[in-house]
Amino acid sequence: MRKTIRAGVAMCLFAMATAAMATTPERYLHVRVEDQSKGESVSVNLPLSMAEKILPTVNHGNLHQGRVTMTHGEIEGVDLHAILDALRSAADGEFVTVKQTDQDVRVAKSNGNLVVHVRDSQKEGQKVDITVPLKVVDALFSTAKQDELDILAAIRALGEAGETILVTVEDATEHVRIWVDSRADQGK
Amino acid sequence: MILLGKIGLALAGTAVAGMGILFSEGTVVVNVTERQPESHHVYVIAPAMLVPVAVHFAPKDQLAHASKQMRPYLSAIRAAIGQLRECDDLTLVEVKEPGNHVLIKKGGGSLIVDVDDEGETVHISTPLRAISSAIEEIAAVTPSDES
Repeated sequence: MRKTIRAGVAMCLFAMATAAMATTPERYLHVRVEDQSKGESVSVNLPLSMAEKILPTVNHGNLHQGRVTMTHGEIEGVDLHAILDALRSAADGEFVTVKQTDQDVRVAKSNGNLVVHVRDSQKEGQKVDITVPLKVVDALFSTAKQDELDILAAIRALGEAGETILVTVEDATEHVRIWVDSRADQGK
Repeated sequence: MILLGKIGLALAGTAVAGMGILFSEGTVVVNVTERQPESHHVYVIAPAMLVPVAVHFAPKDQLAHASKQMRPYLSAIRAAIGQLRECDDLTLVEVKEPGNHVLIKKGGGSLIVDVDDEGETVHISTPLRAISSAIEEIAAVTPSDES
């Protein structure tokens, strides 16, 4: 009798654990723009599942079936897939460092993320930090066509990547933040 | 006397049931307060079920142009409403400026728009199901109905 109860409890725990693992929490893309000098702020919250459903239905301009076709002028002579392959296989570290009198640019790979830092002393000390999980970059370029970006696949990858801050832009008065988390609101 | 009572009870029951059905899809609330140049207050509360019915009986030639403009985006609108109905309550967009505040959110199965500026305050709350039904009614209008 005890064995039967134990087996039943074990099965229940297993079923609960499986269900918990299978349920991916809803992820939200948040955008917050604040301009302290004008006292303005804009907040946008979008469930990624909604973006996933809407995007394939939009066929307008360069956007079709969740993919964007880049014009040839933008990528002419650049093998994006080869660059991505090189990036994927490279070890963590800084790839590009540009130091000028008024601007520093750093591009690096760190903990599975592509990281870009820009510091511009001319634009009121503007700081731009971009962190994109490489899985998202992979998904973005996952189409067979060289001149296409798969936005839909990137959004799916973003949902699976977990909570992450994608972009922050800061200068003396403006503050822009784009991030993904599992909270419907932006918190305080 | 008993018969009259029974008839009265039946009528009251029918009225309550009718109201229940009428309000079963929620209510559309429009609340507009104008402060400048003159103070006006408009408050409308209506059963959401009447929205698609009203659209259905609206002049087709008036709706044909809207239908034509909406058609390319219809599948995107359907997808958006479908997802909004499934997702939790949330603030979609909030814009704050000195003297202006715009809020678009989903709350309790309704899409809520709040605008508060120096001249007026506007609050509109419409059940998503009613929006969906109204859009389908507009989409059903064919271009041949356009005069």
